[in-house]
Amino acid sequence: MNLWSFFWQKIYEINWVLPALIYMLGLIGVAMIFAATDGVWNHGAQQHLVRLIMAGGLMIFVALIDIRVWYHLAYPIYAGALALLAGVHYFGVVKNGSRRWLDLGITDIQPSEIMKLAIVLALARYYHDLGKDRVSHVFGLFGALVLIAMPAQFILQQPDLGTTLLLTMTALAMVFLAGINWRVIVAGLATAAVAVPLFVRFGLQEYQRKRIMTFFDPSIDPTGAGYHITQSKIALGSGGVSGKGFMQGTQRQLEYVPENRTDFIFTVIGEEFGLVGGLITMLLYMMLIGICVWMALQCRHRFSQLLVLGLTATFSLYVFINLAMVMGLAPVVGVPLPLISYGGTVILTVMTGFGLMLSAHLYMQSELPRGGR
Amino acid sequence: MIEGNDNVSLTRRSLILSGGGIGIFGLLGTRLYHLQVRRAEDYSALSENNRFNYNIIVPSRGRILDRGGNVLALNRQDYRVELIAEQVKDIDLTLSKIAEVITLSDPTRERIRKDIKKHAKFVPVLVEDHLSWEDFSALNIRAPEIPGVVPKVGEGRAYPYNGVFCHVLGEVGKAKPSDVENDKDPLLRQPTFRIGQSGVEKGAEQRLRGKAGRLKVEVNAVGRIVREWPEANNRAKAGADVYLTIDAPLQEHAAEQFGEDSGGTVVIDVQTGEVRTLLSMPFYDGNRMVSGISSEELAVMNSDPKTPFNNKAVRGVYPPASTFKMVVMLAALETGLVNPEERVICTGHTKVGNKKFHCWRRRGHGPVNLVQSLQYSCDVYYYEMAHRIGIDTVHDVAVRLGLGQSYDLGIQSRASGLIPNRAWKQKNRRDGWWRLGDSINAFIGQGYVLSTPLQLAVMTARLANGQQAIRPHVIIGENIPEFADMNFDPAHLDIVRESMRQVCMVPGGTAYRDLPLGPSGVDMAGKTGTGQVTGISASERATGVVHNRDKEWRFRDHSIFVGFAPFESPRFAVGTIVEHGGSGSGRAADISRALLQKSLELDGLIVPPPAEESPKEPGGTL
Repeated sequence: MNLWSFFWQKIYEINWVLPALIYMLGLIGVAMIFAATDGVWNHGAQQHLVRLIMAGGLMIFVALIDIRVWYHLAYPIYAGALALLAGVHYFGVVKNGSRRWLDLGITDIQPSEIMKLAIVLALARYYHDLGKDRVSHVFGLFGALVLIAMPAQFILQQPDLGTTLLLTMTALAMVFLAGINWRVIVAGLATAAVAVPLFVRFGLQEYQRKRIMTFFDPSIDPTGAGYHITQSKIALGSGGVSGKGFMQGTQRQLEYVPENRTDFIFTVIGEEFGLVGGLITMLLYMMLIGICVWMALQCRHRFSQLLVLGLTATFSLYVFINLAMVMGLAPVVGVPLPLISYGGTVILTVMTGFGLMLSAHLYMQSELPRGGR
Repeated sequence: MIEGNDNVSLTRRSLILSGGGIGIFGLLGTRLYHLQVRRAEDYSALSENNRFNYNIIVPSRGRILDRGGNVLALNRQDYRVELIAEQVKDIDLTLSKIAEVITLSDPTRERIRKDIKKHAKFVPVLVEDHLSWEDFSALNIRAPEIPGVVPKVGEGRAYPYNGVFCHVLGEVGKAKPSDVENDKDPLLRQPTFRIGQSGVEKGAEQRLRGKAGRLKVEVNAVGRIVREWPEANNRAKAGADVYLTIDAPLQEHAAEQFGEDSGGTVVIDVQTGEVRTLLSMPFYDGNRMVSGISSEELAVMNSDPKTPFNNKAVRGVYPPASTFKMVVMLAALETGLVNPEERVICTGHTKVGNKKFHCWRRRGHGPVNLVQSLQYSCDVYYYEMAHRIGIDTVHDVAVRLGLGQSYDLGIQSRASGLIPNRAWKQKNRRDGWWRLGDSINAFIGQGYVLSTPLQLAVMTARLANGQQAIRPHVIIGENIPEFADMNFDPAHLDIVRESMRQVCMVPGGTAYRDLPLGPSGVDMAGKTGTGQVTGISASERATGVVHNRDKEWRFRDHSIFVGFAPFESPRFAVGTIVEHGGSGSGRAADISRALLQKSLELDGLIVPPPAEESPKEPGGTL
């Protein structure tokens, strides 16, 4: 078969509804960053658009690579990411009080972002190979625990509570999807009920605990961490049903909501386009997530299914945590709104993830090594 | 490869999670609805709160004018230049550019740098104020080339008469922490606001201050003003003008009379208690105090033996000396223990026990009656009175005449002086028994007796008035309570006043001048006093009395005079003390006489004297 025609064949077969939705959300992001920076084109909006386009190329590139390649690369990628995390732990660059970046000379990278994808790849491969019956087996459980705990503890120590939670919750969703026994789930929940308070007490940094406390009562610290939540609620609330109009938000103009270009971008949507704008944005996310789930269920092997569902879970958790945080339903943990928030790393992670999903869907007929039973 | 069972389970579980996801979206949507619809109004209000601030607008301070409408204190445009740090790239370069136009001292540069560090980058920092019009206009021309430099016109307090009214007016300054604590007016927290700190500026603060205006401004999160929203009903209300009873030309005349001398004088309307002149010499320039005086200059003024900061007219306490003799005289007449025709023989001294008390005239006055005792100011006559009347009686008369008490003129810091009696000495002196020697000293206005120029003027005004216990005031429109009746026998007062007339108008009187007060022959009445600063020492007694002129300035006698005019229908009373001015018949009498003359002229009661009678220094700066 001619490689060129194969390429076009595959391009044609890509599920283009997904990129379409992605770019609708991405363009909302461009417009909102434009508004958040007082209508200055090159204070983020332009960069965001360029990044979306470049990451889109990456997404297609990832999508075109056969899922079997990704299957075989799953563990090496995971191992590499883990090594980088260990590297960060020992040689990382400290920015804003936490050690998240690794200076590679040319650029700084954030290995925890790579791990977000790697953990999904590794767990998908693990459960594919393990087979359904041994999921609840002691060794099966132990293997998954090791795969999850190793990166989780590195990221927690950076310290980066948001990413740790995101990673752990994604992993738990995959364990659940892999078919873990309900009895184990109940036992796990019981353990968590005991362990979580202990973890909060002993496992968290002071500032992380404070963030959680101020979430429950923002008035504890109205100018510090509580300030974000309060001002963000004011911005949303003052938007009303139809909003103040594009570029008309006073909270936004007067710089009351900090980081409204990045994590708090939804406040700009809420203030300027009101409930209508907010719900439309949420609807687009729902459609995007729905298509991902539909794509997963079309796949034929466990690896692809778990990969797509795991990546969908990661993406959904981004959206849920960010929206809940902005609306004052969750603590401020520094999770961006994917595709809309300004920030290069997130776009790269999310678009690579979508590339993997598209690849799984595109190559759903590929033969994978038979999973254990 | 595809296990049906497995796939069913995964599909089911993915649908469970999807359901959970839809549930979360539902929750988020509900929350958004709650925030944006149900609580929209609350949050809109909060957003407006965020957005708007009220800035306090400082009102114009009321002016202070004299009775004739001469402006004594006003607000002048103050030219200043400010610097907005965020618009400046290189502070040093900018400052040196400014220094090409106006001089900037090193401490000023240092202060500017400190202020810039202290405040947010957009807050204007004062570079220099009180600029001359020339400097200000030069800066205005250069300003567009120097980014961040803003020439501004503000309001500053100015005193057109420079110093003549400084003790009456006081001055304004930045609010002190104690002011801010006691006064909740938001104006006090404004950096450009100035509060009255002394004198009328402080006494009439509430009337002069006005009401703060409010300017609605839109601010961003760091407090930068984005826009202004003026509202008509929130304008600042300017303070009210305050008129004083003071007569500016008279006060200036008084200052001219004093010249280089130190002391105080007060002229009072004997009918109303209006203070026409209240002068303390030397004075200082209130404008310098407002614009900021260097600590070196301040130290020099503070160590000046002539104490320019002390308001001697109301706070300087001096022995009234012989001007106190009217009190003793009136007390003697009231008690009936003396017959006006009775003569006391003055040999130049009196002996009490083994102690000799001298009359000021060493060779004595011979036989003197009551009226002559005042005319010649014979001390021995009053030593004789000390044997006859008790100090408590004299104290009572002195208080009825207004001595020994302070008067609230609306300018604070006033002294009450001292009129002693038995009870006072019992309480305040270790040697508590009132002795004859104490009375002898007190009856000639020495010893424990102390009074201020204001009190002496009040005493004289009450004697001249004869009936009402007038009380002085300086601010027109203040509630003046009805004056009480003094209850002196008019016949007795006539004797006292006639004696005072003879002091000035009859040859032999200690203040006799061969000059009429006016062409129409208006008579004046008065009394001289020579306040001893040091007792006569034993060595002086041995070597003979050292003449006053030969003493060091600070040991010389105080020159004191009280008087009123016209004699027939009194209008004005004066009390003057010239510190270390020598005999009361000299400096104090001259000044008082000139003031009575001038005040009568100003009120049209006498015609101004011919030109050759004009002041010695024509066209002075005052």
